[in-house]
Amino acid sequence: MDQREFEIQPNSDPNPSTTHVYHLALDIGGSLNKLVYFTKDDDHFVDGEAEISPRNTSEKSKGSRRNHPVLKGKLNFKKFETSKIDDCIDFIKTMKLHPGGSRQQENPGSQPISIKATGGGSYKYADPFKERLGINLDKEDEMDCLVAGANFLLEVVDREAYTYMGDQRQFVQIDQNDLYPYLLVNIGSGVSMIKVEGNGKFERVSGTSIGGGTFWGLGKLLTQCKSFDELLELSYQGNNKEVDMLVGDIYGGMDYAKIGLSSTAIASSFGKAMSDKKEREDYRPEDMARSLLRMISNNIGQISYLNALRFGLKRIFFGGFFIQRHPFTMDTLSVAVNFWSKGEAKAMFLRHEGFLGAVGAFMSSDKHGLKELLVKQEAQQSPTKLSFAVDKMNGQLDGELIGDESIECSVYAA
Amino acid sequence: MADFVEDEQQQQQVLGIDESEGHNNTNNMAPTGNPIHRSSSRPQLDVSKAEIQSNVEDKYPTILLPNQSDDLSHLALDIGGSLIKLVYFSRHEGQSDDDKRKKTLKERLGLSNGNRRSFPILGGRLHFVKFETGKINECLDFIHSKQLHRGLESRYSDTEADRNAIIKATGGGAYKFTDLFKEKLGVSLDKEDEMNCLVAGANFLLKAIRHEAFTHMEGQKEFVQIDQNDLFPYLLVNVGSGVSMIKVDGDGKFERVSGTNVGGGTYWGLGRLLTKCKSFDELLELSQKGDNRAIDMLVGDIYGGLDYSKIGLSASTIASSFGKTISEKKELQDYRPEDISLSLLRMISYNIGQIAYLNALRFKLKRIFFGGFFIRGHAYTMDTLSFAVQYWSNGEAQAMFLRHEGFLGALGAFMSYEKHGLDDLMVHQLVERFPMGAPYTGGKIHGPPLGDLNEKISWMEKFLQKGTEITAPVPMTPVAGTTGLGGFEVPLSKGSALRSDASALNVGVLHLVPTLEVFPLLADPKLYEPNTIDLADPSELEYWLTILSEHLPDLVDKAVASEGGTDDAKRRGDAFARAFSAHLSRLMEEPSAYGKLGLANLLEMREECLREFQFVDAYRSIKQRENEASLAVLPDLFVELDSMDEETRLLTLIEGVLAANIFDWGSRACVDLYHKGTIIEIYRMSRNKMRRPWRVDDFDLFKERMLGTGDKKKAPHRRALLFVDNSGADIVLGMLPLARELLRRGTEVVLVANSLPALNDVTAMELPDIVAEAAKHCDILRRAAEAGGLLVDAMINTDSSKENSSSVPLMVVENGCGSPCIDLRQVSSELAAAAKDADLIILEGMGRSLHTNLYAQFKCDALKLAMVKNQRLAEKLIKGNIYDCICKYQPAS
Repeated sequence: MDQREFEIQPNSDPNPSTTHVYHLALDIGGSLNKLVYFTKDDDHFVDGEAEISPRNTSEKSKGSRRNHPVLKGKLNFKKFETSKIDDCIDFIKTMKLHPGGSRQQENPGSQPISIKATGGGSYKYADPFKERLGINLDKEDEMDCLVAGANFLLEVVDREAYTYMGDQRQFVQIDQNDLYPYLLVNIGSGVSMIKVEGNGKFERVSGTSIGGGTFWGLGKLLTQCKSFDELLELSYQGNNKEVDMLVGDIYGGMDYAKIGLSSTAIASSFGKAMSDKKEREDYRPEDMARSLLRMISNNIGQISYLNALRFGLKRIFFGGFFIQRHPFTMDTLSVAVNFWSKGEAKAMFLRHEGFLGAVGAFMSSDKHGLKELLVKQEAQQSPTKLSFAVDKMNGQLDGELIGDESIECSVYAA
Repeated sequence: MADFVEDEQQQQQVLGIDESEGHNNTNNMAPTGNPIHRSSSRPQLDVSKAEIQSNVEDKYPTILLPNQSDDLSHLALDIGGSLIKLVYFSRHEGQSDDDKRKKTLKERLGLSNGNRRSFPILGGRLHFVKFETGKINECLDFIHSKQLHRGLESRYSDTEADRNAIIKATGGGAYKFTDLFKEKLGVSLDKEDEMNCLVAGANFLLKAIRHEAFTHMEGQKEFVQIDQNDLFPYLLVNVGSGVSMIKVDGDGKFERVSGTNVGGGTYWGLGRLLTKCKSFDELLELSQKGDNRAIDMLVGDIYGGLDYSKIGLSASTIASSFGKTISEKKELQDYRPEDISLSLLRMISYNIGQIAYLNALRFKLKRIFFGGFFIRGHAYTMDTLSFAVQYWSNGEAQAMFLRHEGFLGALGAFMSYEKHGLDDLMVHQLVERFPMGAPYTGGKIHGPPLGDLNEKISWMEKFLQKGTEITAPVPMTPVAGTTGLGGFEVPLSKGSALRSDASALNVGVLHLVPTLEVFPLLADPKLYEPNTIDLADPSELEYWLTILSEHLPDLVDKAVASEGGTDDAKRRGDAFARAFSAHLSRLMEEPSAYGKLGLANLLEMREECLREFQFVDAYRSIKQRENEASLAVLPDLFVELDSMDEETRLLTLIEGVLAANIFDWGSRACVDLYHKGTIIEIYRMSRNKMRRPWRVDDFDLFKERMLGTGDKKKAPHRRALLFVDNSGADIVLGMLPLARELLRRGTEVVLVANSLPALNDVTAMELPDIVAEAAKHCDILRRAAEAGGLLVDAMINTDSSKENSSSVPLMVVENGCGSPCIDLRQVSSELAAAAKDADLIILEGMGRSLHTNLYAQFKCDALKLAMVKNQRLAEKLIKGNIYDCICKYQPAS
């Protein structure tokens, strides 16, 4: 994780003194800790969805004809390495993100405060949060959150899904009525494959232990890279031919046409490393990183496709932090799905791939501060349901930006 | 078969007999050298030599398989990245039929049985050997010294065909080493498609070899019999450097449906980079001592030690392979290579298992067979693959493995010859034997090929010296001389001294015996299981291995004595003891090492091992002595029997068979009597002890069938097959009188005896002389023997036999085996032919009616007669005691 993660950037981290933070949820995974929090620029009401102008979000509301309580603000995304949990806690403290953090005067501290959290780490790191922030982590089921997050993003956020093949990113318009069922492949440290049939209707049908943790773990052992990002960066410059045994290596440079394998197809990942002429030091870290990435991406793509096929699922969405919007990773996954499905299936990706769980946790609460806020401001009956409308994505769609970004959005009570 | 004494006391009794009798015997034997036994045993001797003296066998191949032509090619290669596998075929001299008596007999039998072909007893052998690819020169030397690269006919002359010799080869190395083979051996490698070969090899093995497939769960192998008619379709997963998944729909009908690039090469490649291991085997061995918890991120690591029960993941499930090595605090050198190796192995095996299962599911394939070098018989690899398949399929699918998994490609290449001679080979025509050295090498060749017996013995001796370095279990402490050889030592508990390939299975030599047939009178050959005792039960296996081990010194003494006690015999005796002990220790170490092993196989292995060291007939002198003693009193017995009424006589005869079956290894009292009294006295005493009811007693049923009830007489049986057991009293005073009674009643009698010696069992070669001797005192036997062509000499003397030959014939056929037990799925064609007209089977003795065939069902009437001379067996099988008798009669089913 590079340094910028810890800097407070004007874009995503408005001055705490002028920004009101109402809401926070965490997804503490094996490798990374993801935060989603809502900041309100200003209190205002809007008349209705139709009148929201995405390009005009900073404008004051134009009234409240229909008396719908609306909050305008930003959904912010941020990640930390799980092993540096203290950095995360510091950040939350500094930003006063935790409930009560911005309203200390209102909270005597007698009432235990809790925030939504998911991921295995929400169990493991419950204590430091309690000790340092005085808050309880309210654990939400990981799979529930993943699915809720994905469903939310796919239903609500325009241009959330895209395909990526041969350096071409293509946004996919998903018909909300034809979204289900789909296969959600969440590539974290490990990989979960979830068949999603609707809101709250899903099943983990498969998975594999060869995931992001494997890439990073094996990569670290092989290359002494200091970070996941560095390893990814390396892989971009590598050539797997030096490490992998290709079909051509076995068949004397010829294709094994009979079974449809081209000479450049990988016959055996790391197969060339069997040679006793070279030691680890003799291989370029770039090449090993590249081989590793291809091995893992290809494998995930294959298993995903086989599962999609098994359950007759049309779409496969890949999410999770392994992908990191890394073009080569996405390309390999796409190629794998394309290869194994003989072009019949396509891999799709989510812009907020790393934050599915955190978004899901964020969505999971019915007392997540926003309602309270809405009720307080509107002073009317308490809303039973909240809905979001996305106003603007902060962050370039095509950029390589990884990590901090935000979505400007409106929250409606119904 | 009668030597399985069940406790130490009896063991000593047995030894007592041998000590007192053995010396005399040796003295008697040496000068006279009874021609019956010498000459009639010769054909078997030649067969045995053929196997050992490979030079001879290769130079003079005279007998062909009936379905093979002269230009049979007989070597195929699979040259992989790490191993070279060879499959080669050697033809063997069959029975040289130099025994006039047998030849005449066979002609007679041929006449009486109708049209029968005469096959050589051994058609040929299929050998499986492997070399490390890095030591390809050893492989070339091996091929050269055995002249395997030359076509059979071209061995006699340097023909055109020779210079353009072609060897079928598959595997990546078939391309790489083309020039080397051309240069060193002058042969061209004809490359065969790898996938074709794999499938052809797998199909052949699954169809032709019984119990070729096995499952492997938690270290336990279980051999599976696959119905040939229900074999296809299946998924063949070949785990080499990469992984191919092939859907096989039939012979030559297959499609590569999937695969993965995460395979054996990934394991070895990554493993080398991460551990500095020098070999694949070393890496595998490391994994055995590893703990993946230090490397892998488990579900419990993420969930603070808790299971993620909602989705069925236990805390110990691997969430992320190598997920823990992302830690900043540790570098590569801080992790144990053992742990890294294990994590890698699990990662790759689970992944292969998962993808294989998903593909099987996709194509609705019931069976998944895994093969390829990555597996290499490694127990943990097989377990993880099995676990993965079971896990992902929720227990609905099972991973299966093949005993010959390493040889699929080579075998397939062999099959790609136009004339490979393996067409239509049936399961029952194959016998697998495990020659000397099998327990050590597991098929991998070390050093130059062994030529003659002397080289074999030297190798054995040399190996023993180095044995401790190479193999964990030391067969036995070397002690000078043949006496005092102890039993094998039970290897230490698995783990510490275990070789990495300890759990790998040994591959034997496949003997192709075209003359073998399924015994036609089996009620249902598919349901037939010869072995009564399941050696898969560890306590049974241990018991029998211990028995065999304890009995070994005595057997060696007998064997050495049978060869005149010369220094050469002693040296061979020692080598035999070592070789056989090694087999036993190997089985103790890995009970599945030799495939599905029944007691019958185990006992036969001992006989084969004796033959391998040219002990033709260890019990020769004992058998001869006992035959003579029994024949001397036979006339008295006939007189006694003839004085009885029919009913009494029948009972007395059955009692006699049971009594004579106990005879030689009986109680202390019997042994004492043996020294004091005459053989007829002992026999009578023993018979008198046979008080009914016996523990299993169907005599009344049998009697009813034989004699009828009241006035209702039943037609006699047309033909009876009598499966005989021991020499001496057993055959002479037990079975011959019974045969005589059947003949008297108008039933044709076929005495079925071993083709090759086993313990003191009477052989088909010996029987004609015994019958001839007995016939001197009995008209019934004489006329029947003449009718059956057994009395060759008598016929020359007089024509009167023709007038009297209205008698039904008495015949002798060999059963096709050289074991104290009999597997009726593989009997001689002679026996199969004789069985066609038979409507009564009498199985006698423990080996053939108890250890095997106790539960066998036949199409015709069957009588099983045995004395149980083993307390453990008696308790287990009939809830009785030692010396209890079994008279089991089963009418035609």
